[in-house]
Amino acid sequence: MQNLKPIPVILDGDPGHDDAIAWTLAKASPQLRVLAVTSVCGNQTIEKTTYNAQRVCTLLGLRVPIGKGRPRPLLEKPMNAPSVHGESGLDGPALPEPAFPVSGLSAAELMAKTLRESAEPVTIVATGPQTNVAALLLAHPELKPKIRRISLMGGGLAHGNWTPAAEFNILVDPEAAKIVFASGVPILMAGLDVTEKALILPEDFQRVAALGNPVADIVAQWLEFFYVFHKNLGYAGAPMHDPCAVMALLHPELFKTRALYVQIETEGEYCRGATVGDFYGVTGKAPNAECLLDVDRAAFADRLVEAMKFYGEGAK
Amino acid sequence: MNRLPVWLDCDAGVDDAIALMALHELPELELLGISAVSGNAPLADTYRNVHRMNGLMGTSYPVFRGAEKPLLREAHAAAAFHGRDGLGDVPLPEPPHENRPEKAWDALYNCAREHPGELNLIATGPLTNAAVALAKYPELRTLLRQILFMGGSASAGNVTPAAEFNIWADPEAAKLVFDAGIPLVMCGLDVTLRAMLLPEDWDELAASGKPAGIFTKQCLKPAWAASQNWGLPGVAMHDACPVFYLAHPELFRAKKAGVRVETRAALTLGKTVTDLYSDRKFEEQNALVVLDVDRDEMIRLLKDCILGQHRTIRG
Repeated sequence: MQNLKPIPVILDGDPGHDDAIAWTLAKASPQLRVLAVTSVCGNQTIEKTTYNAQRVCTLLGLRVPIGKGRPRPLLEKPMNAPSVHGESGLDGPALPEPAFPVSGLSAAELMAKTLRESAEPVTIVATGPQTNVAALLLAHPELKPKIRRISLMGGGLAHGNWTPAAEFNILVDPEAAKIVFASGVPILMAGLDVTEKALILPEDFQRVAALGNPVADIVAQWLEFFYVFHKNLGYAGAPMHDPCAVMALLHPELFKTRALYVQIETEGEYCRGATVGDFYGVTGKAPNAECLLDVDRAAFADRLVEAMKFYGEGAK
Repeated sequence: MNRLPVWLDCDAGVDDAIALMALHELPELELLGISAVSGNAPLADTYRNVHRMNGLMGTSYPVFRGAEKPLLREAHAAAAFHGRDGLGDVPLPEPPHENRPEKAWDALYNCAREHPGELNLIATGPLTNAAVALAKYPELRTLLRQILFMGGSASAGNVTPAAEFNIWADPEAAKLVFDAGIPLVMCGLDVTLRAMLLPEDWDELAASGKPAGIFTKQCLKPAWAASQNWGLPGVAMHDACPVFYLAHPELFRAKKAGVRVETRAALTLGKTVTDLYSDRKFEEQNALVVLDVDRDEMIRLLKDCILGQHRTIRG
């Protein structure tokens, strides 16, 4: 079922192949209305992710303000993932140079302005470390009611990927994640529990490539690039980490979820950056996050492939 | 049949007591000695409870006192599950017994020396006694065949969201044991919460009229109340899992993994971090993590053991 009134969203991410695909999905959907884009340091340095954000928005024809994020996590030194996303942060197909500059406002300022000016609460789709979102919440607690929810990719209730206990986005800035999870703003959490099951298989890339529009061509190449890294780890396809945070807004019926009280570990020899879910209710605390735990993989792939048709017919 | 020599280190504990009944009956295993540790209940109670089990079973296994508290922390009992006396507050006779001055770690070490490379240590409480033994006797790591323990979880915890009781109760002891280089078999909540004894099972045991069957139903009363609060359909036979794994590994699914214990954090204190599902692995795969069990078959065997029918069936 389709909402008649589109959901207003802010896209905050560190593109990044899967961020870029998530944004491509968001722009293609009539159910979402993108109000602003903000960059965060994570997969690459803030300079690179910001440049990539501009290039992706240019490619998609997404003419919204782009706010540049903090050059580093709240407390720690930056940590990047060139092994996954390449030196540019978005290696692979050639992309158009930015057709428009970034906003004069920082990521947190732009988020605040966007929330303030929106008549209805806005959903923040945060697919990188939570640095900008935490900065927004710290600086503007009065705007919490203007955030409908935070749909984020991060963490893993059962396991990590950058350490055995921690997933990359949360590990990069655990303090920021702790602020976000403790904020009281409803959270939709796409952790590794679901994102590693949201696999796009090589046959799906071919379906995307066969659509024959320029954006689909590039998405197929991003998928291929992302797959090559994961293939070496034993994956059968490319895990769509960040697109889960968008797809869950568009097609919640594809996912199995559970409401849990989730806390972030900021200390430890092994557990810094772990997302800890209270599965057995031992804390007595009310859930703060709707956690995605499983997905109908084939339907997920179909929806993603379908969405890319937009750039053939609808690209204006 | 060549019976596998076993030392039991426990904090009896209702499921420890049930594990002990199985350990006594299983023809594949030969129990050589028992040490008590502080955990589910204070040491005085867990030590007394093992003697009371000797009385109930009509056995005279040697029992030794171990640690009164964790290596570095204060003890926290689990009375809600195990009752005030640690054994479900069931009136049991206090049989006369020998008061052995030898400590748990010394007795374990001496036993291991008599069975070099063969002794299986089954630990169903916090790993304090095992840690002290390994600290005192460096060569113990080569004398033991393996340590099979009930503790930890590859996913969520039960005493905190991240940690299971036995490991949380003495995380430093667990760390010392995990890092000792001894083969480990970890029966964590992943498997133990699948090893459910259901109300119909303890009703059947009690209906036999045998003291051990009646005791089983009675001692599980507080544990059943606590388990119902958790929405569980029965009482998990946590501590029986390492016993049955040793006797009947074919009933279980297990996977080799790296396992470490968090000791330097508040929220995740005592979490057993495994690399089972993570892309990033630890350098050393030090444990066999038990993940699933053929519940019906294990519980069938367990009931046979409690009713004393196992040896006769197996001849």
